[in-house]
Amino acid sequence: MRNIFAIVRKELLQYFTTSVAYWVFAVFSLVTSFFFIRILTFFQRSIMINSQMRPQMLQYMNFTDQVLAPLFYNAAVILIFVAPFLTMRLIAEERRARTFDLLLTNPVTPFQIALGKYLASLVVLLVMVLLTLVYPLLVSVYAEVGAVAWSTVLTGVLGIFLLGASFTAIGMFVSSLTQSQVVAAFLTFLVLLLLWVVGWAGADNAGLAREILTGLSAIEHIRGFAKGVIDLKDLAYYASLIGLGLFFTHRSIETLRWR
Amino acid sequence: MIEVTNLVKRYRDLVAVDGISFSVAKGEVLGFLGPNGAGKTTTMRILTGASPATSGKAMVAGFDVFEQPLEVKRRVGYLPEQPPLYDDLDTLSYLRFVSRIKGLRGERQKSEIERVIAACNLESVRKRRLGELSKGFRQRVGLAQALLGEPEVLILDEPTIGLDPNQIVEVRSLIQKLAEKHTVILSTHYLPEVIQLCKRVVIVHRGRIAANDTLENLTAGGRSLEQTFYDLTQR
Repeated sequence: MRNIFAIVRKELLQYFTTSVAYWVFAVFSLVTSFFFIRILTFFQRSIMINSQMRPQMLQYMNFTDQVLAPLFYNAAVILIFVAPFLTMRLIAEERRARTFDLLLTNPVTPFQIALGKYLASLVVLLVMVLLTLVYPLLVSVYAEVGAVAWSTVLTGVLGIFLLGASFTAIGMFVSSLTQSQVVAAFLTFLVLLLLWVVGWAGADNAGLAREILTGLSAIEHIRGFAKGVIDLKDLAYYASLIGLGLFFTHRSIETLRWR
Repeated sequence: MIEVTNLVKRYRDLVAVDGISFSVAKGEVLGFLGPNGAGKTTTMRILTGASPATSGKAMVAGFDVFEQPLEVKRRVGYLPEQPPLYDDLDTLSYLRFVSRIKGLRGERQKSEIERVIAACNLESVRKRRLGELSKGFRQRVGLAQALLGEPEVLILDEPTIGLDPNQIVEVRSLIQKLAEKHTVILSTHYLPEVIQLCKRVVIVHRGRIAANDTLENLTAGGRSLEQTFYDLTQR
């Protein structure tokens, strides 16, 4: 336990001294704020149009479902681009700089190495995801009471966090396969991209193929969370991605000793 | 203290270590010599648990390297050829991290860090980023890391490489002091270092032991160690 904690501390120190964490926070906030403003402007325009043309439609409009839900969906897509930068260094750089030997020749197990590194990346991810709470907070300050359905906001944030946690688990495994951070980031990006577009392929199909393909898509599983629904199916999906990522990283670290 | 029996390490098409056996007694400083590519580093990596052997047996401090690797790792300090430094960390946070994974806590951790900082002359670079340090300092931070927790066994892979003559003298006298308490395997290409520090020498060549003898015997009859080394590793 203490070994895991020691590795978490060291990784976090590196996230902040190399300023990777700050860059990831900055880029993620910048892009989500861009989407937030766009979606909000569109929402405002719809209100204006509806109040002039179809006032009866206004009762169906609400901020949470029409601004926050799409925002969470967009944030999920942004994670595909941000997560690889969060994980590329984790193991690839240790191998390149030969610091991996330091871990291998000290009384730490491969499992502790994998888990420590993973938990550190989750801490950075968590801070990043919590930054999206700024938008509903801002709105709740200016809007009337009840405009923001906080329970939906929280499930949305949870969904993004779980999605990001799956992405970092995959990214950490990929990082263990190479000594180059660039290769690690690029390969992770490809895998995550595939996990997104497989959903598009699902939409083009019907029947069982559609079920399977959309079921595989990491982004599709965020939809429930964004609407405020926690579905066991979605939880199981993210849990299995995280489990697989950790398992393969552990295996990969074991085999690194043999080279 | 260290007992190596018939150690073999095979890579796909290369036999790096081909049946090496030797032993090191407690408190002894063993000179581990050989041309580049002879299998020195591979052997040392196996002894530290960084890499498994293909076959053979290795006991360190009474524990089997392959059966009880964690017990061995607790008792071995290792300085690899290239010091394993995190360039983004400063000296102090680096030593703190290493002492934590070595299981040193609280007061003992603090006192151990201060001890190795003093022993390796790192006072002036406590707060400096490791990536900014000169080669000599990097080498000494690597050595400091290996000394944390006073391990019974020290395995040093070319500890004086890249140091200036003054630093070489310092590091040598440091190793000499360490020899009183620790068992040391010292790999080096500087033969005067061996003459100064080691009583016994193992020379490996092409993955096999070419000589395993006292320094006296290897330099008997007025032969220089250079001459012996050359003769044994030219075949």
